[in-house]
Amino acid sequence: MTDAPATIADASASRSKGSLLEKDARTKKRNAAETRFKAYGIIAIGIGLAFLAALVFSIVRNGVPAFTQTYVTVPITLEAETLDPEGNRDPADISGVMTFAYSPLIQQGLQSALEEADVETDMSASDLTKMLSSSAENTVRQRVVSNPDLIGETEEFRLLASSRVDGYLKGRVERADLERDRNLDAAHLDIVDQLQEAGVVSRTFNMDFILGTDASDNRPEQAGIGASMLGSFFMMLVVLALALPIGVAASIYLEEFAPKNKFTDLIEVNISNLAAVPSIVFGILGLAAFIQFAGLPQSAPLVGGLVLTLMTLPTIIISTRASLKSVPPSIRDAALGVGASPMQAVFHHVLPLAAPGILTGTIIGLAQALGETAPLLLIGMVGFIASNYPEGVASGFLDPNSAMPAQIYEWAKRADPAFYERAWGGIIILLVFLLSMNLLAIILRRRFERRW
Amino acid sequence: MNQETAVRNDRDTTSHLPNNQIKVSARKVQVYYGDTHAIKDVDVDIEDRNVTAFIGPSGCGKSTFLRCINRMNDTIPIARVEGQILIDDEDIYDKRIDPVQLRAKVGMVFQKPNPFPKSIYDNVAYGPKIHGLAKNKSELNDIVEKSLRRAALWNEVKDRLQLPGTGLSGGQQQRLCIARAIATEPEILLMDEPCSALDPIATDQVEELIRELKGNYSVVIVTHSMQQAHRVSQKTAFFHLGNLVEYDDTETIFKNPKDERTESYITGRIG
Ligand SMILES: Nc1ncnc2c1ncn2[C@@H]1O[C@H](COP(=O)(O)OP(=O)(O)OP(=O)(O)O)[C@@H](O)[C@H]1O
Ligand SMILES: [Mg+2]
Repeated sequence: MTDAPATIADASASRSKGSLLEKDARTKKRNAAETRFKAYGIIAIGIGLAFLAALVFSIVRNGVPAFTQTYVTVPITLEAETLDPEGNRDPADISGVMTFAYSPLIQQGLQSALEEADVETDMSASDLTKMLSSSAENTVRQRVVSNPDLIGETEEFRLLASSRVDGYLKGRVERADLERDRNLDAAHLDIVDQLQEAGVVSRTFNMDFILGTDASDNRPEQAGIGASMLGSFFMMLVVLALALPIGVAASIYLEEFAPKNKFTDLIEVNISNLAAVPSIVFGILGLAAFIQFAGLPQSAPLVGGLVLTLMTLPTIIISTRASLKSVPPSIRDAALGVGASPMQAVFHHVLPLAAPGILTGTIIGLAQALGETAPLLLIGMVGFIASNYPEGVASGFLDPNSAMPAQIYEWAKRADPAFYERAWGGIIILLVFLLSMNLLAIILRRRFERRW
Repeated sequence: MNQETAVRNDRDTTSHLPNNQIKVSARKVQVYYGDTHAIKDVDVDIEDRNVTAFIGPSGCGKSTFLRCINRMNDTIPIARVEGQILIDDEDIYDKRIDPVQLRAKVGMVFQKPNPFPKSIYDNVAYGPKIHGLAKNKSELNDIVEKSLRRAALWNEVKDRLQLPGTGLSGGQQQRLCIARAIATEPEILLMDEPCSALDPIATDQVEELIRELKGNYSVVIVTHSMQQAHRVSQKTAFFHLGNLVEYDDTETIFKNPKDERTESYITGRIG
């Protein structure tokens, strides 16, 4: 005991940490490591942001032009002799007149437009109409068929310019590009310049791109994403109506009621595996099961929806189970403790708490399905030219249609750069949809969670 | 119903309290968690209109045994209960017994306050609602008020019944859970360390409540506090390593324990 004070003094001497104002070697090393790590993190985030910025920039730069379109305003005299030879304004007769009968009228109209704008040219009338979209005749004809009273009058029509003219106004087409072009040459562009000054040719916002239907290969100026948007919409209805109830019911059963045994373990493993199965596999499954076996129509949004349901189910089940799991077990105990049945405990207490997570998972699953292209390849939704709107709900589900990502892929595949521009434009629309869905998920989640 | 007095435990003969009717009677109860033998051969008779305390060191199986009485162990997949537990002479592990119905008769307050993330009102009203105890809204209001009053919480929450129960303090939450448990009018109330999260004042209030509940219920309380067991209970059971070591009048257990393990525990030598 006598040397005890000495030992304590020794110990405290050796334990002395020195001045806190000076950093010791270990601290310095630690701090340096931390600084380095922070730097790596900032670099990583910087790289990510740079990619994001590049992506947004290129999407906007390439895609925004798709939202405007060049039109030519042409006064057309709708001659009665050509359009209604019988003179009785019988709708059947009028719709019997084919589009080529309208061509001379449009040629005349274009010439008079040129005269009015004081544009001198020695180009032939039929050569001049190459500035217009080949859809022009159809546009005029449809207006006349739907309103026969116009016959005999002179009407102003806003006709789509051809994609070359449109591209010229958007800077996509240069004079040099036209040297080998069979449709348009530099002389046309001179006329376009003058017409633009006179206000005959103008570029305006193009609602038809958002709401319109797809067009065939030689009329990119007419193509719109509206019909395939409807296709996507009907597919999403199918996915929501099937995947949400099936997914939630399956998860509730597995999570809350199923006995834990080999069989349920197997199911669990399989669900996780399904979530990782490439989507094209679901496509070929859909082709075999829904089209070849069940005999459902090809390219139909119903089939697309079914395939995407298969694909979305694992996502929904996994996120639903995760949110059910995150509900504290004490809540279940509390409910059972006051004599609630297991089902009451789930539906009165667990499910409401899990709802925000389930909703978020579902919306994310839907968003994934909305952007999915590969499985649609196999059931014929890619490559289908959605040139008509569905006529009603049944037709919306069953008639062949395309879907937004399939449409984008289709456009990107076509040769004409005008279609390429539309593919970028379509991507903007698709991204707007996806972002608003994600936003909705965030808002719903906040709303529900803020309650308590 | 006097036959129950006949089956009463031998040790009761030393009781200076009036002999009560037996509400719960356990015989040769074994509980296994997988291979772990958590409760071994427990025989116990719990009296009606009395407070029974379960004491014992941590991990000795008090909660496990308590959860046998309302079959909450059914919710643990690996738990297995053997033996016989009679409530009012009915074997609650009989195949014909629906545990849901049983739990309406045997209420439980958990160790950790676990109010539903709903309003204070809904917390208390939930049990009566699902059991159809109230014919209309005003009856339900009465039940809620009565239960909250009995849980000594009414004055603190009467102006904010629609606010979330999870927004109350820990002690208030525990009293809310007690109100919720008594709102369903159980005959037996199981309380697993109801005061472990409470300050001395709230503990006092809960103990007061337990003393009051004793008039109508058979109350079983698990506690780590010797003083609390002493203060509120008439009977005390001492558990050790899954065995029921000693069960007797509280006075006897604390003044004159028969088993030396009991003595060491209550004097603070093991635990
Ligand atoms: N869900 C479970 N799964 C496996 N073993 C368990 C489970 N619950 C309890 N046990 C075991 O059973 C034994 C008794 O546990 P119990 O919770 O009944 O003890 P206790 O007396 O309530 O302890 P405490 O006073 O700490 O609450 C312990 O050994 C514990 O590890
Ligand atoms: Mg316990």
